[in-house]
Amino acid sequence: MKRKGTKIKTSLGSKIFDVFNVCFMLVFAFVMIYPFWNQLVISFNEGSDTVKGGLAFLPRAFTVENYSYIFTRTNIAKGAVISVLRAVVGTTLTIMCTGLLGYITTIQHFVGKRFVRLVFIITMYFGGGLIPTFLLYSNLGLLDTFTVYWLPALFSAYFMMLMASFIQGLPDSLAESARLDGANELTIYFRVILPLCTPVMAATAIMTAVGHWNSWFDVMIYNSGGNWDTLQVYLRKILMESEQASKLLSEQKQFEAMRNLTTSSVRAATTMVVTIPIVCIYPFFQKYFVGGITIGAVKG
Amino acid sequence: MKSKEQKAKNRKELIRSFRTQRQMWAISAVAILWAIIFCYIPMLGNVIAFFDYTPGQSLVDCKFVGLKYWIDFFQLPDMGRVFRNTLVISGLSMTIGFVAPIVFALLLNEIHHTLFKKVVQTISYLPYFISWVVVASILFTLLGTDGNINELLLNMGVIDKPIAFLNEKNYFWGILTTSNIWKDVGWSAIIYISAIAGVDGTLYEAGSVDGLGRFGKAWHITLPGIAPTVIMLFIMGIGGILNAGFEQQLLIGNPLTQEVYENIDTYVYRYGMQLGRYSFATSIGLMKSIFGFILVLISNKISAKVTDMRLF
Repeated sequence: MKRKGTKIKTSLGSKIFDVFNVCFMLVFAFVMIYPFWNQLVISFNEGSDTVKGGLAFLPRAFTVENYSYIFTRTNIAKGAVISVLRAVVGTTLTIMCTGLLGYITTIQHFVGKRFVRLVFIITMYFGGGLIPTFLLYSNLGLLDTFTVYWLPALFSAYFMMLMASFIQGLPDSLAESARLDGANELTIYFRVILPLCTPVMAATAIMTAVGHWNSWFDVMIYNSGGNWDTLQVYLRKILMESEQASKLLSEQKQFEAMRNLTTSSVRAATTMVVTIPIVCIYPFFQKYFVGGITIGAVKG
Repeated sequence: MKSKEQKAKNRKELIRSFRTQRQMWAISAVAILWAIIFCYIPMLGNVIAFFDYTPGQSLVDCKFVGLKYWIDFFQLPDMGRVFRNTLVISGLSMTIGFVAPIVFALLLNEIHHTLFKKVVQTISYLPYFISWVVVASILFTLLGTDGNINELLLNMGVIDKPIAFLNEKNYFWGILTTSNIWKDVGWSAIIYISAIAGVDGTLYEAGSVDGLGRFGKAWHITLPGIAPTVIMLFIMGIGGILNAGFEQQLLIGNPLTQEVYENIDTYVYRYGMQLGRYSFATSIGLMKSIFGFILVLISNKISAKVTDMRLF
């Protein structure tokens, strides 16, 4: 009774604070969500109606015209395919190769493990800079290729450390007994180590995949030819167009059926196409992501 | 000091290992080759900062100019502006942008409804995963002359004609800092939230016994509990003060606001990639890296002294 009493006793100030705090959190959550919601509403609203203003929480004149326009009249579907391809190929190769590297540096009796680690740790602190990197890719013939998306990102010192610290936590005897049975290192890595690394692999894969999906600048400078444009680049192009108002308007006149389109409604639809995949997988990956940052923090 | 014998023994072991551990060496060799090509060659590539380099020419044929480009840069009127923008934008994110996640973490800690707390936190780091291109698109919509913000301000009578916020120099730093905070606050708060969770629970019990109220506990127990984390992150932040952002400036900025957004990184991009002055741009980039590295070293030293935590 007595203990309960002291716990429940709250001052008036504390109660007022609670009310304000909950209100603050509600406003905060609203500010985080509303910009996305606003784009969603605009993307499902007739462009000619959106210009009238006052559009707030729900579409007033519902339409899917904006989406049908971007999928039929622009190359955005191609951009989506390239974005997905980039995220899948880039992520798979990076986690496989970096994981293997991390594993190699944890083998106790491997004489070169410190040296290999050092070679990669140095790359965390010294970078080549924008121009020398660009000139290198240009000399290697990597410009305007799909390869430029995954090859320069094949290994990552940070992920190597992350995975190495995880693998070090696994019992040594696992790899050792496989080795005594005559398995080679690649077999040990793929058959024994990888299946046990799901948490750290998931965290790394998600960080890498989101990075690939969101990347815009490297596409712009390394793939300026436009053959490998990703979704982000398409969205950026639409942003530029709405600045210069606009190719769309002349095109609009050609297609009577599309008279309701405006640059801002098309822009909103494109924004949603870029954002929705992230928002959809977000609830599933966010726990791994938080796990990843905590592993990093412990290590760092 | 290793004796000669031991050195010889080590060398022997190393040579023997190329045979007995050849699988590991083979895998390492591939990785090291990759590192040489994609990390070390670009590092060496920085030498063009000291030559009058034109693409396609071998370095032997290029004129060695030494520190000419640095001297040039310091004589240009651009320099003051570029440094000012870099430091102001970093300064804003080191102050307001630094305090925001701490305040958010402390306030969130005072929410006792677990589900509500969880939902708010999950929502809070959603923007972190969204690209800057999308953020720019959202800003164009919200801040455009017919956007919601202008509409709201017009209805409230604060302004009588729409403002093109993104074309105004005066608003740029504010918009940039706000969108940085919007994007990162939830994510940066994660580390403080886990630090708060790590504060010893018995301290709070002792605090109750000593008659500390709720705010007293937050002030005298929680805040000192996370202070080492706060101090470390602040010091590390100083090490990165020359990184004032890049994509966001290029995406949100336009020629009208260039005077207030152009920082060292975007300057390197503009001169190197857009104007093709490779050597000049490389030398500015190199200078930034050197200053940045010195700052990291200093902050690492300070951090080791103050908090016993260091980066390397």
